[in-house]
Amino acid sequence: MGNVFRYVRLWFAFARFALLGELAFRGNFIMKMLVEILWLVILLMFYRTIFASTKLVAGWRQDQYLFFVGCYFALEGLIETLFLENCQDFSNQVRTGNLDASLLQPLDEQFLVSCRKIDWSTVPNFLMGAGVMIMSLAENPEWRFNPWQLLIFVAVFFCALLLAYSFLLILTSSAVWMIRNQSLMELWWLFSSLMRYPREIFQSNWAWPIGWVFTFLLPVMLVINVPANVMVRTLEPENVLFIAVATVIMLGVSRWFFCRALRRYRSASS
Amino acid sequence: MRFRKYYKIFRVALIERLTYRSDFLLTSGLRLLPMVTTILLWSAVYGLDYDKEIGNFRLTEMIAYLLLVHISRMFSSMPGLAAGIAIDIREGTLKKYLLQPIDMLGYLITYRVAHKIAYIVTSFLPYAVLFFLCRDYFERFPDAQTLAAYVVSLLLAYVIGFYFEACIGMIGFWMLEVTSLLYIVNTLNFFISGQMFPIDLLPRPAVRVLKLMPFQYMAYFPAAVFLGKIRGEALWQGLLAEAAWALGLFLLARTLFHFGLRRYSAYGG
Repeated sequence: MGNVFRYVRLWFAFARFALLGELAFRGNFIMKMLVEILWLVILLMFYRTIFASTKLVAGWRQDQYLFFVGCYFALEGLIETLFLENCQDFSNQVRTGNLDASLLQPLDEQFLVSCRKIDWSTVPNFLMGAGVMIMSLAENPEWRFNPWQLLIFVAVFFCALLLAYSFLLILTSSAVWMIRNQSLMELWWLFSSLMRYPREIFQSNWAWPIGWVFTFLLPVMLVINVPANVMVRTLEPENVLFIAVATVIMLGVSRWFFCRALRRYRSASS
Repeated sequence: MRFRKYYKIFRVALIERLTYRSDFLLTSGLRLLPMVTTILLWSAVYGLDYDKEIGNFRLTEMIAYLLLVHISRMFSSMPGLAAGIAIDIREGTLKKYLLQPIDMLGYLITYRVAHKIAYIVTSFLPYAVLFFLCRDYFERFPDAQTLAAYVVSLLLAYVIGFYFEACIGMIGFWMLEVTSLLYIVNTLNFFISGQMFPIDLLPRPAVRVLKLMPFQYMAYFPAAVFLGKIRGEALWQGLLAEAAWALGLFLLARTLFHFGLRRYSAYGG
């Protein structure tokens, strides 16, 4: 237990230093936030353009789809805040050999590699995503506040965050074999396109095998779909249980993969 | 002699691009995923109604358009160009171009041609498979004249994409940090160039303004030409405007480089 508190204290220290660093360059910090606001505006304009032409998209109504968009934006914001910059940095550390310094620390390597930096400029993304979710619930004529539903949503959202983290860690670890993995941000953007839309769109004749693979083998499609369903459509206990089990399994798999990658690592003379 | 110099740059850049093949192949493979989700999303939007029109595009035309936009972006996207120029300016490594008998913009455009060829050659197979699987969305193949216009529009898209990014990068002569500006420009470009959907779907006043700007030529225009959405006099006017933008951005880039060098102090490097 003492060990856990030690890591929690360390994480808060990292967060504090990162915030001081961000505030030293306030102009850049504000500019990065503006970019994220712009991106949300573009997502919402895309969503409005779609629903100007139809009332339903794969069974999702406009207000429900808006919640999906908000949920995606919030979760992506958390990923970018907590993990993405660290993972991007990992490939450079592997290539230059600077990973040695992290491996010599008396700390868990996965924690040090994936949690050291906090990108405070993307924290507003989470808040904006939450705002969009609240706005969509206000537009939803059928939704009523239910504390148990909210609790399950928060738990499932947390599972979704850890599930997304495990996929990101696997992609990041591949840098040890590929050496040059300069496009991790692009790789993550491409891979996460699978969680950007409701998985019900994969129900056509030719697409269902793809949907099956990315639901049951690499369950990336569950990441936004299940939390959003819990809150604005139907609470399906089997899906809730499935995402919880998938999260535990994927965390284990990603941990194993990361450890394999570290064993493969050969320093490049730091 | 001059041609031989740029040929060597081309060859080295091509070899460099193909050195890290696994990274390249993984990225090329994953690039197919957004295309699949896009096709499925728009199929869901249309409700599989093949006669329904949204912004003058039927379902088959919409999906064909979104596939063709990937070809347009294959030519016009220049990842890392602006940031690379800005870093060279900031860190003083720009002097390597000034000390050698080589023009920086000439070097970079040759370097990018090599990268583009490597990218097109190595991603040809996955794209060919995808286009073959989606061949039913292409109702007709364009005639020779339209095809020629399409090829010209793609080549001009390359020129516009290159010099636009080069101009952004060379703002680094006047501003210490251009990364933030680059993020804003790229984010806006993703929307207003027509990569997400044809700009015809936007409100008319917005469409009129966007069609006066160069961004449409980086994604929307070539795809619309191929699909026959821009024909006759409008086609030649569009190509002329695209060529004018290409020339204008070329001149702007050269001007920025000329005046930027006057301010350049070459600290570092």
